[in-house]
Amino acid sequence: MVNAFSCLFKKKVTETRPIPDEEIERLGREIKREIDARFGRSLAIRELDAGSDNAAEIEINNLANAFYDVERFGISFVASPRHADVLLVTGAVTHNLEIAARKTYDAMPSPKFVVAVGDDACDGGIYKGTYAVLGGADNILPVDMKIPGNPPTPTQILTGLLALMRTAGKTP
Amino acid sequence: MTGQVLPDEDAATGAIRELFGAAAVPARITYGCKRECSIDVREPEFALSIPYLASRKFVLIGLFCVEGFREGAGHSLLYVFERKGSILILVRNLTNAQATSIAPVFPSATWPERECRDGFGIEFDGAFDTRRLLLHESYPAGFHPLEKSFSNTPVMTTTTIDAADEYPFRKVSGEGVYQVPVGPVHAGIIEPGHFRFSVIGETVFNLEIRLFYTHRGIEKLAEGKNPYDCIKIAEAVSGDESVANATGFSMAVERLSGITVPDRAWYLRTILCESERICSHLGDLAGMLTDVAFPLGASQFAVLREEMVRENERLTGSRFLRGMLCIGGVNRDIPAEALAGFRDFIVQFRKQCKVGFSIVLSTPSVIDRFSQTGIIRKPLLRPLNITGPAARASGGVVDMRVNHPYGIYDRFSPAPHILRDGDVLARFTVKAAEIMDSLDLISRVIDAMPDGSIKSDEPIRDGCALALVESARGQNLCWVRVQDGKISRYKVRTASYCNWLALEHAVPGNIIADFPVINKSLNLSYAGTDL
Repeated sequence: MVNAFSCLFKKKVTETRPIPDEEIERLGREIKREIDARFGRSLAIRELDAGSDNAAEIEINNLANAFYDVERFGISFVASPRHADVLLVTGAVTHNLEIAARKTYDAMPSPKFVVAVGDDACDGGIYKGTYAVLGGADNILPVDMKIPGNPPTPTQILTGLLALMRTAGKTP
Repeated sequence: MTGQVLPDEDAATGAIRELFGAAAVPARITYGCKRECSIDVREPEFALSIPYLASRKFVLIGLFCVEGFREGAGHSLLYVFERKGSILILVRNLTNAQATSIAPVFPSATWPERECRDGFGIEFDGAFDTRRLLLHESYPAGFHPLEKSFSNTPVMTTTTIDAADEYPFRKVSGEGVYQVPVGPVHAGIIEPGHFRFSVIGETVFNLEIRLFYTHRGIEKLAEGKNPYDCIKIAEAVSGDESVANATGFSMAVERLSGITVPDRAWYLRTILCESERICSHLGDLAGMLTDVAFPLGASQFAVLREEMVRENERLTGSRFLRGMLCIGGVNRDIPAEALAGFRDFIVQFRKQCKVGFSIVLSTPSVIDRFSQTGIIRKPLLRPLNITGPAARASGGVVDMRVNHPYGIYDRFSPAPHILRDGDVLARFTVKAAEIMDSLDLISRVIDAMPDGSIKSDEPIRDGCALALVESARGQNLCWVRVQDGKISRYKVRTASYCNWLALEHAVPGNIIADFPVINKSLNLSYAGTDL
């Protein structure tokens, strides 16, 4: 019989899983350096689904699993836009979500940054010019960084965030 | 009506014979390639059919509108019923955009009728709910995007909504009842939807769900396009059901064109379908454990999921298995050594899953939260057409791979895991068992993998066809009509669409703090519902 308590003493499960992803470690170290220097050691991200097909959400969620575990780099996903520095927008903004998306952005304290994640959020993707969507997130929000992909992988999202860290506040 | 079905007759043909007399069989019936019975009915016949079909335990699995389906009729409503592996499609041709509602008899018609009203402007007499569904307040009145006269172009909407025009939620009142509005933007990294709880103390008294925030116009988007270009639209119905919806779409087009998919392609498709199911279920298990604050188990399953996703990427180049399916087969072959590697991976993976399950199921604090929480009762399954693991955890023997086998599922049938409790624990257990089952199924498929071509080059013809597939969440229905080589109607109805109403019934009586875990135990797709 295995129980949770005994697992704590068995020295496994959470301890020994190898993380062979040197790319992630390198990205993480660089992001951490930027966050430490420019965001007071912590970057709070609020995710906003503005009409996504949920693939991007899954990949953003994956950033928290043990392979990536981005919290160790100083990135945390927060429950309220009031706590957020960065808004990650996914999906070609639908008419049905336009009001909620604007309210979410407005609720964030300044300075604030918007990142469009995925092809749909970047420019409307396959939905461009159709009745139900406004198109890319930059139609309603000032987008600072675009991370294309269908959906972008966790590594690509991290790469995009690093690029944002490096440019944030520097461009007019 | 004697209620007798002839020995060699399927349930649908039997129903038609009983309803419209022996002369109607087979004269008025059109059979599809999977013996789906389709019959055009006049209004008095339709009125007679509905109570009869309800009494004969037919389940309404689809209801949608098609414009220009029959010569001379503007709109046709297609009612798709299922009973014992047999499909009956009633075609109701409307002379004006007016029809009687069947929602009082078949509750699963409520949302589709509202959808037909939004999409095509059809009014349903006797409907008890006539609020807009797909199109929220910002859309102009009288706008019906699915009508053929509307070409898919941007539409003027408004962001200033008068209080009088706001969506009227059901009113629940009484001493001590208060409302908790949640959404559409939620606290976690999840999709948008609005949940209106009416609560007494801590206990939920009523839950009303409002969705369709991510309505992206998928069905209209496919219209007028070359079917080959629509696979990526089918994949975008719901990210974590990319393979299932692409399979449904391809199957429908293959059926209407009479394309025979090579065996090897079906073996590969089956591996993709089952891998997708495993990923989805592992995500659900991790999510349920997160929602009862058991990170030890949650991170186990999140890690396993990531391993599986990476394996998917190695096999297909896509973490979501996208771009593999195509009409007539699959786009790329998977080499034998990669498949052998996958089989070895599965052997190890299986052991790790087992360890994870035993940790969770021997942890009293988890069982305490899971057991007797969010019960879905069996009598709800048929009226609401609840399918998938949610139904199988409530005693329902529904699995499209078994009831309506497609591809090679007649040879590789999954063992049904049926539990009766209908609570979160039952859904967790069923999903856990299905992960093991899918892993075994993949191994068996790899062992029996035939050589040969992976794609048929037969051409696409005009016509229409229905396809049912078992996605990770249950029965996905897909109906496609091709005219002049272009898609003229693409109707997709995912399992989530029906199962959302199960959530409305599962939550009342539970405390509000248990809502997240109940919701996660069903893990329904918002995008797959909103389209």
